[in-house]
Amino acid sequence: MSVARIIKTVFGVLIVTVSVLAFWPQRQTDGDVAATSLEVGDRSARFIIHFAPGWGNMPGTIPHGLGKPLRGIREVAREFVRQFPDTCIVFRNVPVSDREWLVTQLMSGQAPDVINVNVEDVWVDTHKGWYLPLDGYLEQPNPFVPEGEPGSRQWWGMFKYQAISRGKAAPIDGKMYCVSFDMIETGIFYNKSKFDELGIDPPQTWAEFEAIQNRMQAAGYTPFLTVIEAISDWGVDLLFDQFYAEILPGIDLVQDPVREQYLQGYLDWDEIAFLYGRGFFTGGDARYREIFSVMKDWRRYWNQDLSVRSMDRMRPFIRQEGLMIWDSSQLTHRLEMDKTLGFEYGVFYLPPLTEATSRFAPRRLLPTCVIGGAATQFSVTNRAFSDTSDPATSERLRRVIQFLQFMCLPENAQRITNESLQFIPNIVGVQPRPEMQPFIEILKRRYTTTKWVATFDLQFNDILQRMLGLYLNGGCDLDECLSNMERALELGAERAIHRKKPDLAMLERRWKELAPLRRSMKELPDGAR
Amino acid sequence: MALGSAGSRTLRFQLGCYGLVLPTLALLGVFTFTPMIWAFSKSLTRYEIGEDPEWVGVSNYREYLSDPTFLASFANMLFLTAFAVLVRLIVPLTVAKLIISLRSERHRHFYRILFLVPIVIPGVATQLIWRTLVYEQSGLVNRFLGAVGLAAWQHGWLTDPRTALWAIAFIGFPFVGGFEVLIYYAGLATIPESVNDSARIDGATGARKFLMIDVPMVLSQIRLIVALTVIAGVQGFESILILTKGQPGFRTMVPGLWLYFNGFSFQRMGYACAIGVILFVVIATLTALNLRYLRSTEEVQA
Repeated sequence: MSVARIIKTVFGVLIVTVSVLAFWPQRQTDGDVAATSLEVGDRSARFIIHFAPGWGNMPGTIPHGLGKPLRGIREVAREFVRQFPDTCIVFRNVPVSDREWLVTQLMSGQAPDVINVNVEDVWVDTHKGWYLPLDGYLEQPNPFVPEGEPGSRQWWGMFKYQAISRGKAAPIDGKMYCVSFDMIETGIFYNKSKFDELGIDPPQTWAEFEAIQNRMQAAGYTPFLTVIEAISDWGVDLLFDQFYAEILPGIDLVQDPVREQYLQGYLDWDEIAFLYGRGFFTGGDARYREIFSVMKDWRRYWNQDLSVRSMDRMRPFIRQEGLMIWDSSQLTHRLEMDKTLGFEYGVFYLPPLTEATSRFAPRRLLPTCVIGGAATQFSVTNRAFSDTSDPATSERLRRVIQFLQFMCLPENAQRITNESLQFIPNIVGVQPRPEMQPFIEILKRRYTTTKWVATFDLQFNDILQRMLGLYLNGGCDLDECLSNMERALELGAERAIHRKKPDLAMLERRWKELAPLRRSMKELPDGAR
Repeated sequence: MALGSAGSRTLRFQLGCYGLVLPTLALLGVFTFTPMIWAFSKSLTRYEIGEDPEWVGVSNYREYLSDPTFLASFANMLFLTAFAVLVRLIVPLTVAKLIISLRSERHRHFYRILFLVPIVIPGVATQLIWRTLVYEQSGLVNRFLGAVGLAAWQHGWLTDPRTALWAIAFIGFPFVGGFEVLIYYAGLATIPESVNDSARIDGATGARKFLMIDVPMVLSQIRLIVALTVIAGVQGFESILILTKGQPGFRTMVPGLWLYFNGFSFQRMGYACAIGVILFVVIATLTALNLRYLRSTEEVQA
C-alpha cells in the first residue's frame, strides 16, 4: 500500500470518527429528560393542546445558561393530564415576537392554542377574530378553586396586581385578550462594591444621576450599559411621563370606563391620533423635543454600541468595566446564579427630573412611573376552538381554559414563577422570592400615563427606534429624526382612525371643554391653543 | 396520403412536446404568474393580512415615491450591487486565471476544490460569523485594533452610520466566491489552444493577453455573473435583515427589505406589493440592458 493511500485512509477514518462523535446524542439523566420533554400525555388523546409558554417558562430552558433546566410548567401539565387523561399538552418553542411568523400562523389557524405574547401585539389583530376575548371566563369562578378562596367568585380575584392586569384590556374594544400570569419590571442594576469604593450612592434626582455618571467616567468606567430597544421603549415612556405629567389634565380626552380606573390618565390610540392633529408629538412640540434632547445629553455616559446583543452588553458589567446596566428583573437570575460574580450588586430605579435639569420637569418631584408590568401574558388563539369554530360550543376550548385556570392555582403558579429568579408572582397566595424585592417595590409606583410609543402603531414603533438610534449615534440631527418620526406618526394616526373609527366629534367637544385648563400651560404646540 | 400521415406524425410529436411542457407551465402558472398578478392587483389596494382589501388606486405607488426610504434605499442598493459586480468580476476572474495558469494538473485540481469548498457553508451562517466574530464590539476587527494600539478606532462597525454600509459591502472579503471562480475557470478552459498559441506568437503574454484575449473570450461568463449579481443585488435583503435590519436609521435599508417589513412586520401588504411591482420593473429593465449591451464575442462576430 502506498504512503498516499495510507494517509488518505487514515484521514477518511478520522473524518468519519469525528462526525460520528459530533452527532452522538449526549447522555441525559432522568431529570434532564423530564425537564426537556416537550409532550405531556398521550398523543392519541382526544385533546392535544399546543402551548407556547415563552422562553422564560419553556421546559428545558436554562435561563442565562445558569442553573438547572426549567421543569415547573411541565410538572403542572403532568398533574393536569393526570386529572384529565383525555388531554395531551405539547409545549412549543415558537418565535411569537416575530410578527411575520405570528401573523401567518394565526391567519392559517396553525398558531399554538395558547401563546405567551405581549398583548400589545394582540391588540392590532383583535378585530380579525384571531384571538379569543377572555372576559367571560375571567368574570366566572375558577372551578379549581375551593369555595371562599380568591378566585372562587371570579377568576379575576386570583390576580394580585389588579391595576396592571386589568389595564391590559384592548383599547380597540375594551376586551381582555390575555391572562397576566406573572410580572416583570425594569431597574438599573448597579455594582454596589464599586459604588462604595467610589463613595457613590444611588441617585434621588436626575441631577444627582448625572453627577454620579460623571464621577464614574472620570474614574475610567463606562457608567451606563444599555441597548437601543430599552431606550426607545422604556426611556421614551419614562421621560414622556415626566414631561407631560403636568399638562395631562388638559390633554387626556377620554376616560375609558374599563381601564381608566386602573391606569389613571393613560393616553390611548384615539387620543394620540387627535392630539397629533393639534401639533403634539411633532417637531413643534417642545416637550416632545425635550425627550430626545435629554436622551442625547445622557448618551455620553453609555456604551458605544447600542445594538449589541445582551451577552455583549452584560459582559462589561460582569467584568466591572461598566457600573450600571438597565435591564429587567430577569437579570436577577443571571447575577444570583453566578457563583463567580466578583461583586455585590443592587437595584435602583431611574430618578425623576427636576427643574434644574429641564424646564418641563414637574414643579413638584414626581417619582418616575412603572413601565413594566405583566410578564407572562397568555392569549388564546383561534386554534383553540377549531373543533367547532364556535367558542360557545367548543369542547377543546373548554379544556384549554381549564388548563389556564389550573395553572393559576397558587401551588401551581408557585412551581412555575418561582422556579427561577425572573418574574414576580401575580397570583394571590404565592410569595415572591426575596431576591425579587427591589422590583416589588418598584411595582408599587404609579403606572405610566402612556405605553403608546411602543404600541401605537407597528411601523411608527419601528421608525422611532431606527431614527432614535441614528440620532443618538450622531447620524442625523434632531429635526431630521423628528421629521421621519412625524411622518410615521401621521400614517399611524390615519391607520388608527381607520381601524378604530373613534368618535372624533366627541374628542373635539372634550378638547374644547378642556381649553380653560390649557390656558395656563406653558409652551404647548401652536395647534393646542 | 403519405403527406397526411407525416403531418399527423408531426402534429402528434408536437402535441407530445407540449404535453411534456404542460406540467412545468402549470406549476409556473400557479406558483409564479398567479402570485405576480395577485401582487399587482393587491398593490392597488389597502390590504392588511386578515382584512378585506380596499381599493385605493395608485396611492400606494404615490406614497412609496415620497417615502423617506425610497431614494436612500435605492442608493444603498445601487452601491451594494455595483460593489458586488465589481468585486465578483475582478477577484474570481483573476483567481481563475491564476489557477488555470498552474502547470500541474494536480495543483489546479487542488485549488479548484479549495475555492469550491466554502460554497457548502450556508449564507446565513457566513453572515452570522461576520456579524458576531468579525464586526461585533468584541469581534476580530476591534480586538485587532486594540492589540495594535488603535483602540480609538474601535467601532460598532455595523451600527455606526459612517461605516455600516461599507461593513456590509465588505462581507465575504476577499470575495473569492467559489461559484464565480468555477464559472470563469470553465470559460477560460474552453479558450482554444490555437488562440493561446496565436497570442503567444504575436507577443501577447501576461496581463496584456489576459485583458486583450482572455477577458473578451469569457464575456458570456461575465454576462452571466453580472446578471446573477444584479438580480441578487436588487432582490436580496436576507443578509441585511440578519446583519442590521436596515439600521442605523435607513443607512443600510434596501427596497427588498422595506418590502418585507411592510408586508410582514407592519402588515401593509398592499403597500409591500406596490414596492414589489416597482422592483420587478427595475430588475426587468436592468436584465434587458445587460442582455442588450454586454454581448459575448461570438454574438458580436455574428
